[in-house]
Amino acid sequence: MSGLIRFFIRKIIARFITFFVILTLTFIIPRLLPGGAFAYLVENPNIPPDLRQVLIKQFGLDKPLLDQYLAFLKQFFTTGNIGISFSRLQPVSTVIFQALPWTITLVTTSIIISALIGMLLGLYSAYRRGGYFDTISVAISMIIRSMPGFWLGMVLLIIFGYYLGWAPLFGVYTYGYQYSNILDYIGDVLYHLRLPMITLIILSIPEYLILMRNSVINILGEDFIMVAQAKGLTDREILIKHVFRPASLPILTALTIDVGFSISGAMLIERVFSIPGVGRLAYDAVYMQDYPLLLGVVIYTSALTLILVTIIEIMYSFIDPRVRLE
Amino acid sequence: MRYLKKFIDAMRIIVKNRKGFVGLILLLIPVSMAVAPNLIAPYNPWDIVDKPFLPPSSKHLLGTNDVGQDIFSELVYGSRISLLVGVSAAIAAVFIGTIVGLFTGFYGGLLDDILSTITDVMLLLPILPFMILMAALLGQGYQNIVLTIAVFTWPGIARLIKAQVMSLKNFPYIEAAKAYGASSMRLMFRHILPQIYPLIVAFVILRTGGAILAEAALSFLGLGDPTQKSWGGMIYWAMNSGAISSGRWWWIVAPGIMITITVEATALIGYAIEEYVNPRLKGE
Repeated sequence: MSGLIRFFIRKIIARFITFFVILTLTFIIPRLLPGGAFAYLVENPNIPPDLRQVLIKQFGLDKPLLDQYLAFLKQFFTTGNIGISFSRLQPVSTVIFQALPWTITLVTTSIIISALIGMLLGLYSAYRRGGYFDTISVAISMIIRSMPGFWLGMVLLIIFGYYLGWAPLFGVYTYGYQYSNILDYIGDVLYHLRLPMITLIILSIPEYLILMRNSVINILGEDFIMVAQAKGLTDREILIKHVFRPASLPILTALTIDVGFSISGAMLIERVFSIPGVGRLAYDAVYMQDYPLLLGVVIYTSALTLILVTIIEIMYSFIDPRVRLE
Repeated sequence: MRYLKKFIDAMRIIVKNRKGFVGLILLLIPVSMAVAPNLIAPYNPWDIVDKPFLPPSSKHLLGTNDVGQDIFSELVYGSRISLLVGVSAAIAAVFIGTIVGLFTGFYGGLLDDILSTITDVMLLLPILPFMILMAALLGQGYQNIVLTIAVFTWPGIARLIKAQVMSLKNFPYIEAAKAYGASSMRLMFRHILPQIYPLIVAFVILRTGGAILAEAALSFLGLGDPTQKSWGGMIYWAMNSGAISSGRWWWIVAPGIMITITVEATALIGYAIEEYVNPRLKGE
């Protein structure tokens, strides 16, 4: 048991150090640029002079660099804030905390569903290796991987939103609609999120399908499969009992890499479907040259990735105890 | 002449492979557009040739855009920037990755530890927000997009090159060269690097596809160069001009298909070269 706790603590410390480096980089970057921290963090026509003075004081911008760095860290670890968004005149943390739930919902549901579907399709593909299903699913996977993800979202939106009318064209709520209860609200949001979620799932399936297929093909060549066949087990029993579990272990490792990709993908999809998540914020921040907000998006998407990755690694250590020993 | 012969040899290898053959055929479409756009496109993509927002017709194959420029001509000329950005970003990323991989693989030790840590972290983090930040701070212009893509995509290449270098440096011919007194630099650049040239070429081709996708994503977020036409930029303008809510699917579908064809072609050719370099992969 103590080995398990030590494993968790080691993982968490490693991730925290990574995060600390990113935080430090976002402190350094605006100060290295021509114009320095003033230009990138407080000088904006949107910010009234009195607020500017408060900001300069709050972040110690008139003080030496080390004091600024300490003030920056203190701000972040006590309030989660790193500055004032020029475009919304609210603390960056407030703006981001409103946006994060949307991105988290999109990313987590799409990872879970696409991993499950992809693993099942990959299992069947490997079982029918060389057959029609296998050939077609591998070819389609390759084509999907070559598409810009956001473009696929736009195409689906035109087909199902504009021409068939099955999905709303933008947004996450029906405007002007009074919700009678919380279930009504959730139902409406899910109705709006359906198409973006399907897009993200379609985009992630190929990765899992191909990985699972290769993994299953390797395992089908093992001796213990021949033993199982000799015992008279049916193909279905062998696939479910003896192949699925060992073959899915490499997929769990792939999940950790996929978190970052999924967040990037979700950010682009949010722009297509006008979902008010962090991707939308990033787009607005670029458009309005709102650097504090952009830095906030970088910090918080990194933090989100590191947290999700750590959760997956901890789950993995329960399924495959060998990883704790490394 | 030597290089021409090598080029013909490489082509022969790619064409013999079924995937490589299909990839080359697909790649001919964007490449021919980029080489001779004036022969293919009916109009100058910058000229206002008709009323805005026209649907496809025999006069304008893909209709006209929000200012009345011919969309098909934009598509043809756009292949130039998209391919140029893709290839230059891929070359830059592979160049950095190869140098880093060569040194870390050859020397190992602390250098390797530092690289492994950086690579692990960069492969884990979502690179899009970082790329957005860098592209936004550098400002508009295609050289900045190329730089941004290269900076965030070299680590994976460095890791693969490193693995190759580590296995090559224990070969007897390297030891023989060392015994003759070859310096570390000579060993790395004269004896190890030529062995991984085919792999480097495969990486450049494969990464070109990835870089084209990255350019499209950045352009779609408004970080592209407004003075140039690219496929990603076309999708951005289509989106901002309400192509979705007015059902002008051709304006969005056409540049996306060009991107998909090009990326798919690079993937297929890349696989063909990889299968040649590493025959064990065949049939997977």
